[in-house]
Amino acid sequence: MTVLEGDAIPEWVMERVSPERMRTMAAILRDPNPVHWDRDAVDALPLGLGKRTINQGPLGLSYMINMLHAWAGPDCIRRIVMRFPQTVLDEERVVARGTVTAVREGNGVRVADCDIWLEHDARGTLLEGTATVALPAQLS
Amino acid sequence: MTSATHPLPPLASIEALAGHEFPGGEYTVAHWENFLLTECTGAQLLPGGMVHPVALFHIPMVGAGTSIAEMFALGQAESDLSIIIESYDWEMFEPLREETRYSASGSIVSAERCTSDAGNLFDRIVFRFLLHNPSGALVARTTITWHYTRNTL
Repeated sequence: MTVLEGDAIPEWVMERVSPERMRTMAAILRDPNPVHWDRDAVDALPLGLGKRTINQGPLGLSYMINMLHAWAGPDCIRRIVMRFPQTVLDEERVVARGTVTAVREGNGVRVADCDIWLEHDARGTLLEGTATVALPAQLS
Repeated sequence: MTSATHPLPPLASIEALAGHEFPGGEYTVAHWENFLLTECTGAQLLPGGMVHPVALFHIPMVGAGTSIAEMFALGQAESDLSIIIESYDWEMFEPLREETRYSASGSIVSAERCTSDAGNLFDRIVFRFLLHNPSGALVARTTITWHYTRNTL
């Protein structure tokens, strides 16, 4: 199947954003920010989020990486630029989505430029950005 | 609110951060680390010892000889709770592999005081890290842009 501008990338679903995984990630990153492991600390902030921990930015981004890998292969990503307009909270169900905005040649490889984002049913777009992906033979 | 408790850092001390270079160093991703990182993303391990790209947040940083805590401190963060992510820009020139010794370097590209649409002051600091493989080829370039909020959170 040849990838074309406007194509949708098959979505990737994180059924439950896990507070346990946030804690593991915080330990690996040596991230001192308690918003990732202390619900009371988040509740005390003037953000109205309640007793929920906030997912690390790279973890939210990783769901879109997983979507791109499932679509175009585990070594496909050339660049990702990501912005974080909203937080991702523990226990949420979120969906990584994307569309192809251009297909071109880059350094002898066929690449796709994509808009990618992370969506929540009620809160809309949580993270948004762009990706450049090298297309495998079966997609180019 | 914490508005009266945190004096604003002098502007000159923030702007002086531009050009700051981290000491540099090396980093090898062990299998156990890749396993746990990948599990955190909800994915299966990648084939052939490939490291999940989520590692591009901390491998270049730690390899360059710094840490999240030091980066918070350099920008005179009011607290560990006061940082907001503006963006990450990760450029990947080849996949990272487990048990490969990468060399890393990093610096602060820019540091400036800004005002949000809501009228809140923050300091915007841009960090850039480079990762090279044992042959000296550039493997990844990452740019982290954080907002150091001032009397907002």
